[in-house]
Amino acid sequence: MPRQRRILALWLPRLSTDRLTRKNGRPSDAPLVISGKANNALHVHALEARAERLGLYPGQPLANARAMVQPLTVVPHDARADAALLEAIADWCDRFTPLVTLNAPNGLYLDITGAAHLFGGEQALLNDALARLAAQGLAAQGAIAGTSWAARALARWRNGLVVPAGGEAEAVAPLPIAALDCDAKILRALRHAGLKTVGQVAQRLGSELTERLGGAFVRRLRVMEGQAEEPLTPRRPLPDLMAQQRFADPVVSRDTIASTLLALAQSLCGVLEREGQGARGLGAVFFRADGKVERIAVRAGAPLRDPSTMLRLLNQKLDALADPLDPGFGFDLIRLEVLLAEETKPASVSFDANENARRQLRFLVDRLSARFGEHRVMRFVPQDTHIPEAAAASVPAQDRDFTCAAWPRQPMNDPPRRPLRLLERPEEIHHVMADTPDAPPVRFRWRACLHHVARAEGPERIAMAWWNRPGLTRDYFRIETRDGLRLWLYRDGLYRETGLAARWYMQGIFA
Amino acid sequence: MTYAELAVTTNFSFLHGASHPKEFVEEAGKLGYAAIGIADRNSLAGVVRAYEQWTKEKPETRPRLLVGARLVFRDGTPDIIAYPKDRKAYGRLSRLISEGKLRAPPGKDRATKGECLLDFADLLKYRHGLLLIVIPPPSQLGSAPQAPRCDTRSRGEEAVGCIGSPGEMPGSRLTKILAALGRDTWLAASMLYTGEDRRRLRDLMRLARQARVPLIAVNDALYHKAARRQLQDVVTCIREHVTLKEAGTRLQANAERHLKSPAEMARLFRACPEAVAETLRLAGRIRFHLAELGQRYPREPVPRGKTADQHLRDLTEAGLKWRYPRGVPPKIAAIAERELAFIADRRIAHYFLTVHDIVAFARSRHILCQGRGSAANSVVCFAIGVTSVDPTDIDVLFDRFLNTNRREPPDIDVDFEHERREEVIQYIYRRYGKRRAALTATVIRYRSRSAIREVGKVFGLTEDITGKLADTVWGHHGDTLEEHQIRQGDADPANRAIARARHFANELTGFPRHLSQHVGGFVLARYKLDWTVPIGPAAMDDRWFIEWDKDDLDTLAIMKVDVLALGMLTCIRKAFDLIHAHAKSGKEPRLLLATVPRQDPAVYDMLCKGDAIGVFQVESRAQMNMLPRLQPRTMYDLTVEVAIVRPGPIQGGMVHPYLKRRKARRENPDCVIEYPRPGPEYPQDELENVLGKTLGVPLFQEQAMRMAMVAAKFTPEEANGLRRAMATFRHAGTIHTFERMFVDRMVARGYQEKFAQDCFNQIKGFGEYGFPESHAASFALLVYVSAWIKKHHPAAFCAALLNSQPMGFYAPAEIVRCARGHGVTVLAPDAAFSDWDNKLERTAGGALAVRLGFRQIDGFREDDGHTIMHERGYGYRSFADFARRTGLSRRALVLLAEADGYRGFGLDRREGLWAVRRLPDDDPLPLFAHEGNRGAAPEQGQEHIAPLPRMALSDHVLADYQTTRLSLKGYPTQFLRPRLEREGITSCAGVGQLRDGARVRCAGIVLVRQRPGEGTAIFITLSDETGVCNVVVWERTFELFRKEVMGARLLLAEGRVQKSPEGIVHLMAEKLIDRSGDLRSLMDCGEPSRAHHPRHAHPRDVKVLPPSRDFH
Repeated sequence: MPRQRRILALWLPRLSTDRLTRKNGRPSDAPLVISGKANNALHVHALEARAERLGLYPGQPLANARAMVQPLTVVPHDARADAALLEAIADWCDRFTPLVTLNAPNGLYLDITGAAHLFGGEQALLNDALARLAAQGLAAQGAIAGTSWAARALARWRNGLVVPAGGEAEAVAPLPIAALDCDAKILRALRHAGLKTVGQVAQRLGSELTERLGGAFVRRLRVMEGQAEEPLTPRRPLPDLMAQQRFADPVVSRDTIASTLLALAQSLCGVLEREGQGARGLGAVFFRADGKVERIAVRAGAPLRDPSTMLRLLNQKLDALADPLDPGFGFDLIRLEVLLAEETKPASVSFDANENARRQLRFLVDRLSARFGEHRVMRFVPQDTHIPEAAAASVPAQDRDFTCAAWPRQPMNDPPRRPLRLLERPEEIHHVMADTPDAPPVRFRWRACLHHVARAEGPERIAMAWWNRPGLTRDYFRIETRDGLRLWLYRDGLYRETGLAARWYMQGIFA
Repeated sequence: MTYAELAVTTNFSFLHGASHPKEFVEEAGKLGYAAIGIADRNSLAGVVRAYEQWTKEKPETRPRLLVGARLVFRDGTPDIIAYPKDRKAYGRLSRLISEGKLRAPPGKDRATKGECLLDFADLLKYRHGLLLIVIPPPSQLGSAPQAPRCDTRSRGEEAVGCIGSPGEMPGSRLTKILAALGRDTWLAASMLYTGEDRRRLRDLMRLARQARVPLIAVNDALYHKAARRQLQDVVTCIREHVTLKEAGTRLQANAERHLKSPAEMARLFRACPEAVAETLRLAGRIRFHLAELGQRYPREPVPRGKTADQHLRDLTEAGLKWRYPRGVPPKIAAIAERELAFIADRRIAHYFLTVHDIVAFARSRHILCQGRGSAANSVVCFAIGVTSVDPTDIDVLFDRFLNTNRREPPDIDVDFEHERREEVIQYIYRRYGKRRAALTATVIRYRSRSAIREVGKVFGLTEDITGKLADTVWGHHGDTLEEHQIRQGDADPANRAIARARHFANELTGFPRHLSQHVGGFVLARYKLDWTVPIGPAAMDDRWFIEWDKDDLDTLAIMKVDVLALGMLTCIRKAFDLIHAHAKSGKEPRLLLATVPRQDPAVYDMLCKGDAIGVFQVESRAQMNMLPRLQPRTMYDLTVEVAIVRPGPIQGGMVHPYLKRRKARRENPDCVIEYPRPGPEYPQDELENVLGKTLGVPLFQEQAMRMAMVAAKFTPEEANGLRRAMATFRHAGTIHTFERMFVDRMVARGYQEKFAQDCFNQIKGFGEYGFPESHAASFALLVYVSAWIKKHHPAAFCAALLNSQPMGFYAPAEIVRCARGHGVTVLAPDAAFSDWDNKLERTAGGALAVRLGFRQIDGFREDDGHTIMHERGYGYRSFADFARRTGLSRRALVLLAEADGYRGFGLDRREGLWAVRRLPDDDPLPLFAHEGNRGAAPEQGQEHIAPLPRMALSDHVLADYQTTRLSLKGYPTQFLRPRLEREGITSCAGVGQLRDGARVRCAGIVLVRQRPGEGTAIFITLSDETGVCNVVVWERTFELFRKEVMGARLLLAEGRVQKSPEGIVHLMAEKLIDRSGDLRSLMDCGEPSRAHHPRHAHPRDVKVLPPSRDFH
């Protein structure tokens, strides 16, 4: 008979809220709930203990929850962030055993067979794990048993229990049937039959249950009772692609780190090449011998698969770190990950000079962004609005995943509708002489000069966004002065609103 | 200096325009326009509203009203506004739009409701007689025309084929369209402050000159006043499904698209004054007027060689002989004569004949029907079988109709059995063809609920907030959302986004949202209907409806027949069938509405006691309270009963005066009734004629109208206006002008001001819930017949009511409880005995018992029910035998088990379910498929298993409620009784025993919440195992306990007992507590504590006894 396995199941019931409250401090003092969306309605997806004590519960319509508890902090559910945290916790659990399996969305299995003695026995290991997680601000429950299902159920219902080998059936018998965690239909069938505990179910004949609830259910029951085994699937790596280098002797020198990164980049690029992909996001992970983990990440504006470019980007980042990378006693593992891979078009050699210039520009943007931060290197994108000063917004130049309007098209033979340059803010002009109600000015004084209008077109009437930008309706004119200046100015307010008292402003200059 | 605006988009171009048609007409009048043209997007839906307003404007100053449509094409052709010159051209326009609406989009085989797919070629087909204004698209302007790059290979319709072809210069595209359209075409120019208006105008002038087409000035109005721009932005966002922040250039840049004064238009077009003058020239060429639309009724019902009048006379005479086999009373014959003369004079015999034709068909199929409406309670209609109300029972009401406004079209609604109305509709389609018979439209308008939802989205409020706000509106009739409702929605009324959303939601309320089909209003025509009004497809296959609703048809005096569905008729017919099938002798003739014995005192006795659950119309809480006070003894009393518990009489304060006089009259039949009198210089008895039958108190809508004419001296036109205002004041708000007129004139003629004001309040109360005497009289007959069945055949009544669900006021549980209260045995649904329908069984004692059918089981399918009946033969031997022979799906077997339907096989609910689960799944493996059904599965031998844990009675009762919504085993509250008693809570029956004024606490399951009309009280019916208790919550208390009242399933009411002399008991609530938690605890009992596991209780589980099947 094979040696009985020992499984530690961890359950993190408040993963979603703990993620928000433990590190950066909580979003606000109000009780916190995580909202989810199903069937077009918002509901409580998860919540912290405090909110639950106030009577809220998962699955509750959010509006109800808001009505019951005021104020309430509501944060939308972020499944990816939760999954990432669970992964991180799984990473951390490596300290107990290399065989960690995810039990998404908020559980983990640790196969601790033969490992417990290193930690002073199973109970001590369990207590240690729970205490350390608690110290990190994570509510965790756990239990140890011979099979995954038994350990899992006990973690939820009998926190902290260590079941001796062979004691599973007895341990799970008093648990409610919900502990079987099976399909809702089966649960209903059991409840209809009046069977309320796992023990009551287990007492029925095997054939009786198989005929009614299926073989899979009976197998699960047997696993729960420790009479059968359920293999655990190993955890899959998170990055799209990764390469790593272990060191028997921890490395400290900058050069070794750089050459390691280059070697890793080369091996990654080989794979990327084969798959017709490029990296848009790269991450380097440095595992320190003392357990601390350092990560850096860089992004690229276009898919990359050139090792030296990758290295240059990483170096820019390392140089720009506010806290320089501290090797301490040295790194025993360095890993390079492709965080985001993207299809690349087959690279054909282009003789187009522009294409080359564009590529160089992109690379410049990447380097500048890696050096100064994404938000320091910006570009303009058009916005869908009538309001002239809001017609362009600046975004990080590396960003490509935004939706925006198209720049307005200019009819071929027409003069431009908008000046290329707008003044930082409109400048009031004075001594304006203009006919009412909507004629262009004849002359005006701007920046201490008197201008005489030679030609004008307009008005173009633009009303402000009444819902958030109250303001007077403007009548815009394109004018050309006798001196040849081409300007864009407006009268602030309609004649019937302001009478003769209207102010006039200069807003832009046509090139 | 004047002007005509010819490009007007109203809010009947749904979510494009932001003003009502009438607002445009009014504003055009104020601005001194020569004409205003209403041209909605591919629609004529709004023109009648504009026309109605136009008829109200002063004839000397009003602009001409032009009727047209803005044609929006799918093939890239720019919009073209079309105005028909004359009646024939109007028909073409209507047909053109119909064609677009009935066209299936590519790749689909049927047209989509609410869409209109037009191509330029369609316009050319119907172009004759249409004056067209081509609207150049804003983006395709300017630019010198270039040589056309049209493909030379294209054939004859080159000009058309090229439109929209890519790479072509816009100027030449316009030129081509103008050339293709030929004469009677204009090119529109607008000055909308785009910044290039003048350059544009210059280009257009050149283009027009080249194309030899006159240029015409338009302002392309979307709203009547500049102030509506904000609402226009809001509706644009709703249309585009974006928030205001995201909308950007989808909104208009400015607020210029309103009606502008002629002087302003002249100023804007000073470079091209001829464009303004052209508007008057175009308007001057239109001769068509909506009043020209007449209606011609189908000829089919009239036999060859006869006139309609003659045929109706023959039918009437034959009918009278049939109705009065012992001789026609001379009074009746005389009335019939007068009616026939009137009908001949008004030339509406065809109308009566078409109705007769429909009713005759129904009768031939044994479908019960009953007519109502102003023309339905005539001797003629009684004779030809449209109604069964005997004119000798109730004074003939048609008289009134004869005397009132002669322009009003007659109105007959016919109710049919709701389950069989479809047969009648199919008959109408068969008989008249689909192009000549179509349903009326219903204009679906924004109500405050829908408005706040949509507007909230536009302002970026989340759905949970808008949903909550919407939920504070009671029912769907709330009109404006008040601040306090915002607070009840747990939102802050001072929050800017919420305050704005509320403001615009209120502004949007009343806007048309889309057109839908009316439930049964048919318009019939001798020729094709789309010659008169566009027709579009309805949501249902093979249904069409016109673009106008009943008010529009009234305005144009077009007659329609309402073919309505009434659940009670189904119930009565089913009861008649059951009575006939179980009659002792089996020889009695089948009962008919007209042959139920009249004036049965036992029936009235029952009603006087307020014992009316299930009886038509008088089963609501308020009605059941009224019955003992009103003490109905005749058919006319029932007519009053039906009409009196309505917002009209209640708001007019007419209920108590009437009851007082009735009581006085009952106690002393000779007592003198005081009638309201005018000043001494006027005829003293003028109101006696109007109010005689109702003891001097106005109760019916007709009486209010008559009073307006007699006492307030309204002219027929004014009275007609009042009637219209009454019907529509909720979205029109014109009633107040009539209010002053009505009250002042009555006071001037010496009536007491209070009386006049009360009468008018009543008129306001009639509002949309108006209940005329003619309808009440028709309903009174059904009240009597259903009460008669309930009294004399309670078992049949119970079964028929259940078999006609959904209908009526009460849940099956109450119907069954009431039947059991009347001594009827009710048996549970059982696989071994039941049919699909509820049926009657003879018990051992010979009495009739009701056996509940499978239809009472939620989710059970009808064909499964029939399979069980079909296979039953001499009965099923066992559950296994049953499962094998019926071959039912696993789902059906489970449903039966959950409903505890295997008791006949000796299995209770729990054992039944466990047994069902043992059967293999529905889809056998292909290997075994040839063995037919699952019963043959050989490997399942006899099974000997340990007994399952016993199911508690409370669990059974709750499970019964969850599956069949009723239980014959008990009532949920009985299991809470010990707990409630400990707390000193009185049972429902106990409340009735207390003295008047006693303090009491009573808890029960909420059966009904009701707020009659605009009433200040909310009625709640609580129920427990002992009976029901009627709780009254005043508005003020309700506002404090809104959440409890609206949400609680088990409610504890604290307050005082109020007992009336007639023995009606009410609990006047002062405090309400939601005890739904106790019910939930019943369902959870026995479950071991669930440690850290959260409960996933949906509030729905708490509301009704939960529909979820999670019992234990």
